[in-house]
Amino acid sequence: MTDLRKDLVLGLVLLAAGAGWSALAWATLSPGFGGGDIGPRAFPLAFGVILMGLSALFIANTLGRDTGGAAAKEGSASILWGPALLLLLEIAVYGALLEKIGFVLATPLLVLAVLGANLKIRGPLTLAAMAAGLTAGCWLVFGKLLGIYLPGGTWVDLG
Amino acid sequence: MDMFLNAALLALDPWAIGAVGFGTFIGLVFGSIPGLTFTVALALALPVTFAMDSVPATGLLLGTYIGGMTGGSVSAILLGIPGTPSAAATVMDGHPMAKRGQASIALGAAVVASVFGGIFSLAVMIVSVNLVSRLAIGFGPAEIFALVVFGLSTICGLCGGSILKGLISGVVGLMVMTVGMDQIEGVPRMTFGSIGLMSGVSLLVAMIGLFAVPFIIEASAGDGGGQGAGRMARIRADLPGLRLLLSKAWLMVRCSALGTGIGAIPGTGGAIASFLAYDHARRTSADKASFGQGNLDGVIAPEAANNAVTGGTLIPLLSLGIPGDPATAIVLAGLMIHGISPGPALFMNHATEVYGMYVAVVIAYLWVLALQLAGIRLFVHVLKIPRELLAAGVLVLCLIGAWSVRNSVFDIYAMGIIGVAAYVLVALRVPITPIILGMVLGPTIENEFRTALMLSGGSADIFLHSPIALLFLGLAALVIVLQAVGEIRLRASQQKVNA
Repeated sequence: MTDLRKDLVLGLVLLAAGAGWSALAWATLSPGFGGGDIGPRAFPLAFGVILMGLSALFIANTLGRDTGGAAAKEGSASILWGPALLLLLEIAVYGALLEKIGFVLATPLLVLAVLGANLKIRGPLTLAAMAAGLTAGCWLVFGKLLGIYLPGGTWVDLG
Repeated sequence: MDMFLNAALLALDPWAIGAVGFGTFIGLVFGSIPGLTFTVALALALPVTFAMDSVPATGLLLGTYIGGMTGGSVSAILLGIPGTPSAAATVMDGHPMAKRGQASIALGAAVVASVFGGIFSLAVMIVSVNLVSRLAIGFGPAEIFALVVFGLSTICGLCGGSILKGLISGVVGLMVMTVGMDQIEGVPRMTFGSIGLMSGVSLLVAMIGLFAVPFIIEASAGDGGGQGAGRMARIRADLPGLRLLLSKAWLMVRCSALGTGIGAIPGTGGAIASFLAYDHARRTSADKASFGQGNLDGVIAPEAANNAVTGGTLIPLLSLGIPGDPATAIVLAGLMIHGISPGPALFMNHATEVYGMYVAVVIAYLWVLALQLAGIRLFVHVLKIPRELLAAGVLVLCLIGAWSVRNSVFDIYAMGIIGVAAYVLVALRVPITPIILGMVLGPTIENEFRTALMLSGGSADIFLHSPIALLFLGLAALVIVLQAVGEIRLRASQQKVNA
């Protein structure tokens, strides 16, 4: 996808987001009671409308852009959708596991998944050392030394 | 004079110096880890002070506060992830410097600027505590709203290549902060029926997601250790020279004065000061184009300003008993526990303790200087870790940070979603720093505007009849106009070159 098309898609997505946001703010939030009270609706609605306006301006600007100009030649990075969505999934699973099996068991699983699947680390020794070292180090420093509460699980609780 | 000497003797007691050093170290550790703020560190340190005398106790709390404010720059420069919101502006030039192998120069300059800013604000506080507190108390909702609008106008300077993208980014930040309970009427807004969203999106969680997750995803594109090795070859541990720092002295003075002034106004804080200082440094620089690419002024300005806030916030705290932010509220609690009641009578009733606090602040900054300068040669070795392994470590630290904000799994999910969205925006060359600025300023701008209108019965005259509000609104308009004119001129010259 060219930069021009990417910007166009971005502008359209933002325009839709602004429209959806504004409609939701209008439909679900109450206006003020008058006498100086502008209510909880005014700012979300105003920001939504401003986003729509800026997005429309951005789309117009993109459509009118000189495709042979310097800006067009500045290539934006390609989006790594696979690793991004994989990481999001891993974080979501980690959040669920944190409540069920606790920090001590969920963290090495996350480290192994991220190192193996996302970061393509294959050495078993590195994987094991990173999983055990990061978990033990964080548990010791944050949980025991600094007194930060690290969750135990509802299924298994290793402290 | 006798009282001051007495206070100095108490504060220079080895036990008191150790207490300040311990607080400074804890503050540095908490400040440098994204998500673990110095407010948390202060909350943990407060019970430790119960059994201590008043001077070492307040010294420990002040050391924690000062260490925490300074520590945020370490992860901002080395990893591009600010440890605290106050260090968000430091990322913009600090991290590019680290990528160029100048991490130690950036860290060294950040420490010196921080210490300078802190000592400068202390000096201003000592000399003008009554005058500044009287001026600061004159800031009502209309004036704070105008100041925040001025702060928001700096978005134009953080946009990078495209002003439109930067403005969109800023508005997105403002929108995100309207999610949750309305602070004035207490009704849920834009929560989509989610209980987790009722308490809103935490600024810290969003900041971790915005800066850390793109770093981890980008590490996925690496070639397993090769990048780490490439980075290692370029890492040096040089410290900035005295001549270089002296050449930045005037910038430090200006930004420290700005930070002290902002800090004295309750409800503002380090993040606003650092962004304003960054924008000031950029606008007054002869080399504007290098900002965002690793300009040392872009590190010095925000660091001097955000540490000058520490002295500034002590002005209303000591003279009026008004804490400017949650961290100084804990310091206030610590003072009151030890029988020190801030307010107009403080200097009559507790002069020794107040002078002791002044000395403790100086000691805390000396500890910061010693610990950070000693640590820089160690800190830079973080960059020698292969990027893939570093990414895994950063992820675990960030997850702990996000969790510990409210002990909620919801914040972990929020971090992931915001992070992936930020990664997509970064890939599309949308600047993400304006999102942070929007998030920092969003709640203040809305609350102060609404409060001002309620006070005036709905009349906009409240903004027009205040000279301070008019001044800041005028400055905001001036910044926007100058930025727009600059952009038009730049485009015109680019078109000439292309033709």
